[in-house]
Amino acid sequence: MQYSWLLFQALVAVFCAPLLSGFIRKVKNALRMRRGAPLGQPYRNIVKYLAKEEIVSETTSWIFRAAPFVVLGSTIAALMFVPVFSFSFSAAGMGDVLTVFFLFALGRFFLALAGLDAGSAFGGMGSSREMFISSFVEPVAIVTVAVVAAHGWSAESGEMSRHIGTSFSRMVAAAALFMVVLAETSRIPVDNQETHLELTMIHEAMLLEYSGRSLAMLEAAASTKQLIWFSLLGGVLWPWPFGGAMTLTDGIAAMALFGLKMIVGALVVGLTEIGLAKMRLFRVVDFLGLAFLFSVLALVILSLGY
Amino acid sequence: MKIFSGVVAELEAQGAGILEVFEPNPEEAVIRLNLEDFHRACLFMHKRLSSAVMAMFAADKRIVKSSFEIFCVFLSREHRKWCTLTADIPQDRPAFPSLARDIHSASLFEREIREMFGLEPQGHPDLRRLHLHDEVWPAGLFPLRKDFVLSGPVASDGITYCFNRVHGEGIFEVPVGPVHAGIIGPGHFRFSAAGEPIVNLEIRLGFTHRGVEKLFENKPPQEGLTLAERVAGDTAFGHGWAFCRAVETLAGLKVSPRALYERAIFLELERIYNHFAGIGGIALDVGFSFPAQFAAVLKEKVLRLNQYLTGSRYLKGVVCIGGVSRGFSRQDTRALLSEILSVSADHQELKKMLYGSVSFMDRVDDTGILRQKTARDLGVVGLAARASGADLDLRKVFPGIYERSDFRLIKQEKGDVLSRLRARMDEVDESVRLIIYFVDRLEEQSGTLAADFSRAASGRAIGSVEGWRGPVFYWVDMKEGLVDRCKIVDPSFHNWAGLSFAVLGEIVPDFPVCNKSFDLSYAGNDL
Repeated sequence: MQYSWLLFQALVAVFCAPLLSGFIRKVKNALRMRRGAPLGQPYRNIVKYLAKEEIVSETTSWIFRAAPFVVLGSTIAALMFVPVFSFSFSAAGMGDVLTVFFLFALGRFFLALAGLDAGSAFGGMGSSREMFISSFVEPVAIVTVAVVAAHGWSAESGEMSRHIGTSFSRMVAAAALFMVVLAETSRIPVDNQETHLELTMIHEAMLLEYSGRSLAMLEAAASTKQLIWFSLLGGVLWPWPFGGAMTLTDGIAAMALFGLKMIVGALVVGLTEIGLAKMRLFRVVDFLGLAFLFSVLALVILSLGY
Repeated sequence: MKIFSGVVAELEAQGAGILEVFEPNPEEAVIRLNLEDFHRACLFMHKRLSSAVMAMFAADKRIVKSSFEIFCVFLSREHRKWCTLTADIPQDRPAFPSLARDIHSASLFEREIREMFGLEPQGHPDLRRLHLHDEVWPAGLFPLRKDFVLSGPVASDGITYCFNRVHGEGIFEVPVGPVHAGIIGPGHFRFSAAGEPIVNLEIRLGFTHRGVEKLFENKPPQEGLTLAERVAGDTAFGHGWAFCRAVETLAGLKVSPRALYERAIFLELERIYNHFAGIGGIALDVGFSFPAQFAAVLKEKVLRLNQYLTGSRYLKGVVCIGGVSRGFSRQDTRALLSEILSVSADHQELKKMLYGSVSFMDRVDDTGILRQKTARDLGVVGLAARASGADLDLRKVFPGIYERSDFRLIKQEKGDVLSRLRARMDEVDESVRLIIYFVDRLEEQSGTLAADFSRAASGRAIGSVEGWRGPVFYWVDMKEGLVDRCKIVDPSFHNWAGLSFAVLGEIVPDFPVCNKSFDLSYAGNDL
């Protein structure tokens, strides 16, 4: 039973992920007094890419072709270890929340290699920037999860589910995680998804050489990854009361609550993106340094018993 | 003659053999020299007038006197004159001594003369072609020579362009363009970067070379005007007016104050809409999308105002030789005033939005600095030069209708992206003030809209206008009522070099915002 829930959750999450991207775009455009693309545009894009011919540069190796599979696969696998709708819906026993970061690192590694593989200048720049930023992102993410895990002395999501309830340390940890989420989902002030300027891109630069089915997979992976980060943030800041054995009504309520959280998250991210200019690349160090400070502070606060 | 004679005497004291000095009109002084003295005289004028080479070009006069002519134009702010030095180059020895090693601003002009006329600048350090790319054009074709006929497609010699290479460990090259992701003109940017910091930037242009100067030849001035308005799409009015001024000077046409006021209003409207586009572009390139959108709305408002007043959003077909093609009714001036005041009020909001944002100011402050000395040495002009502390504005040098308007020259000192942004913001305010002033005066004027223009007199004249980007320069040579040679210098031609210096030491992802802050034209440069 648990595994069928798990599978169901993964399917729903992967399917709904592009909707979240579309919604954030809609929020941003509404704030800018623009009509913008319809909510379902990310789906249309993926369908369009799937129908298009794929062009692969002659100078690439197998890594370039394998990367989309590794990235999408590892992202979906990561989904199994994240409490999306409910804590009890995750692959408890197979790994803990830290596994998510390792799976992300695997995908990132392959994507960065693929960016270099085609030998275009933009891809290389994107890869180098991505690795530069991830070296600041990962420590913050791990410390933040440690704060939550320390409530029950376990990073395994089933165990974590028994220690829900908001505390001050969780709030501070969530502030740190929010900054990480902005960086990891290529949002302003770290990256800019909307730009057409290759020279300023980070994540998009690594995808420039991709087309067709591979691009569709990478886009799907990016929006799924975004959903995972959002639900991690939601879980840290606002843990939900659903755990243990679930009835059908519980399940529906959990999904509704999840949807609500995503909407709130999208509004906050949309507002942040509109209100800020993108940072100078090397300023990101300060930004994520601050995030690290917050995460350590959360640990200290936790150790004081709040 | 009297005003300029002091300088001429100094030049003679240098031992330069002057053949002839004359002042064909109040804005010009022409000094004819022997080719041997040309180099020395140019160096002297460069220093004496502390002016960059504002234009340098040749003309093919082999039919008349079996020689080419070469011209080098400086601007004397002190005397309020264009100072043209000229010499004959005999056709059997098609070469002239290069100024490029001494005066950087002559370098590109000399390369242009070389590829267009086949006149060799002796001692020039860089002889690569600018507009006629080696990948397309064979050697030995000189389009601006009178005997050039393009009968069909040309075949290249199989040579490829050679970029300057930076050697060293960890230096890599980033080629960008000529096709870009945005809707901009084509240009190739070759970055040499050490990690993110830019060590060298080489800009290769010429992809939109259309042979505009050749197209001018043997055209009546009315057709020339249509062409001039299409040289650079964002400066249609500026180019049109500059061309008209040259033709009007030659024909001795007196343009009525009423037409001049209207022209000035349109020139300022062109400045305003382009500044809004540029301000929005700067915000967009640092990912600050709300003000970018706001600026786009303001630009659109001005474009619609243009449309309402003239029927053309980009002010094409408004200026005509002798005046303007349509006058303002009372209703027009009322609409103009109310719209421009509302735009100006919104502009104050835009300023608050940008200057009040810490994250935005952090991006533009100290980014892409072009120091004043560098700008002067490179011969950077117009907006970009004023943002680096230069005093040069043709509206000050040749005020004309601006004379009594208390025109304030907008200047910044630092030369970074923020300075260029501030200069544009302040120029919008100044332009709004000028428009209001001109509209007030316009009511009192009655004269004709356009003076009668039947046939152009033969001769040569310079026409210039301070367009939104900087000085737009036209040198027109008329023969028997037709244009014999027309030299165009868009400010972009001077300023691209400034960009490649301003980005040195900046990181690669900051290039787009530096580029946008200069806001240069590809079409105006490539001609």
